[in-house]
Amino acid sequence: MQPQDYEQFAHAVLPEATADEFARQEFVKSYKLHLASQVSPKTKTVYETQVKPAFEKEHGRAPNNRHEIRKAMNGNNYYQTWSSLLRTSQEMMWKSCQVSVERQWAKLVSEAKKKSIDKPAGGTLKLDPNLKIPRYLTAVDIHCQPGGYHTEMVEDDVAPGAIFERAVYIYAMGQLGPMNDDIGASTIAYMQETFPDFTPKRILDLGCSTANSTVPYKETFPDADVFGVDVAAPMLRYAHARCETLGAEVHLSQQNAEHLNFEDGSFDLIVSHILIHETSTTAFRNIMKECYRLLSPGGVVIHVETPAYKDMDDYDAFILDWDTYNNNEPFWSKSHEIDPSQAAEEAGFDPSKSFEAMAPSAYEAAKAKRTNVFQGGDFGGGGFWYLYGAQK
Amino acid sequence: MPNVLSPEDANLPKHSKGMRPQFFHDPTSDKLLAMVMALAGEVSVMRDRNDTLERLIDAKGLLDKSEIDQYKPSKEVIAERDAWRQEYLSHILRIVDLDAGDMGRNDVSPEWQAVMDEV
Repeated sequence: MQPQDYEQFAHAVLPEATADEFARQEFVKSYKLHLASQVSPKTKTVYETQVKPAFEKEHGRAPNNRHEIRKAMNGNNYYQTWSSLLRTSQEMMWKSCQVSVERQWAKLVSEAKKKSIDKPAGGTLKLDPNLKIPRYLTAVDIHCQPGGYHTEMVEDDVAPGAIFERAVYIYAMGQLGPMNDDIGASTIAYMQETFPDFTPKRILDLGCSTANSTVPYKETFPDADVFGVDVAAPMLRYAHARCETLGAEVHLSQQNAEHLNFEDGSFDLIVSHILIHETSTTAFRNIMKECYRLLSPGGVVIHVETPAYKDMDDYDAFILDWDTYNNNEPFWSKSHEIDPSQAAEEAGFDPSKSFEAMAPSAYEAAKAKRTNVFQGGDFGGGGFWYLYGAQK
Repeated sequence: MPNVLSPEDANLPKHSKGMRPQFFHDPTSDKLLAMVMALAGEVSVMRDRNDTLERLIDAKGLLDKSEIDQYKPSKEVIAERDAWRQEYLSHILRIVDLDAGDMGRNDVSPEWQAVMDEV
């Protein structure tokens, strides 16, 4: 069965939705698109015509940075309304996906279990029940998913993974493609253009969650051994079932990307997809050091995120920063101030071999629908991914 | 660590851990907005369901879809719908009635106070 470009690909472990559940999810998708395309752009008009002039009148100068803009905007009713609507859309999104997963919970658990026994694609799954979930994931439920990535309510739970896969599709309003794989596919496209002679043999995806970005690596490099790690067992169980269902041989293990059990120099490509902003300053340093240790000479590490604030004006940075304060993303703000060259050097890389780039989205079909801005509630809307990394 | 509950006996967590930001000066406004959008969502779900019904009925040849748009309610049907809407509005506007209605007056009468003192 070929994926249709207007809907999520219904592989065997994707939760099914009743007609009403589907309609509820479709409403959230439309609601988010309406906010991103109709309501959100006018926050800038409100800023330019009301908030900024008022600030200038009071202070005798324009706001200096995104923080001053945020404080000024917090008192504006249009901004308050947009923010409250956006936060509500996020909560409704999780709820709309949770309901259908809760209804077919037992079936999803047993289907995933069956796939992990049959292993039609030959992948593996290693869980570590003693792994300590890092505080940056237990202190808040990242992007408001109730229970976060890691919470297991029942034995062999896969619910957080099943909810996440459907919610990511709705969150991105389909812009990650029918397989939710645009971030991985875009990174691969960038890599092939930048390092045309590079054919990785051992690939590691950090914080792989449902492996939606991992699978395209196996598809593009079928001879490579592809590995994925995550701290969350229910994500990995779901990811394993999903990979096996899709025929992608991926080796998954429950590990913290800060301290991995692989041998020195054992990978030639290490990637992460919108992982870094969900960690911490210390964790990021540890992750970069691990990447240096694990890469063989000539190997490449690439982290994909939304664009760094240094490359945008203060207003755009303020809008993209919305998630830090309103969507349970505490490290979002600081992670957007990372200096890739400095981070590479600190980890042992030659800073002259560090890089950063804007990689165009690989998913052409969704391009026309994009809002072409990076903004709260619509991280896929830009049509580009920001990536940075280094070659060892 | 997972407990031993099976999905039949378990519930998924319904709220995310972390502080919910307050956007408006009055937190009630944030709650009302969330309720309005939840209701808007349910109306949309009903609208989709109705649309499905009309399309299925049309596809099965039981009814031409345009007949629904051309339907003229009779005097009796109009009267029934009028009555239903009055009842419907009285449910929705119950809170307004509280200040002026004859049942459950929103005041503290001597009779009410006497009972309260007694209990």
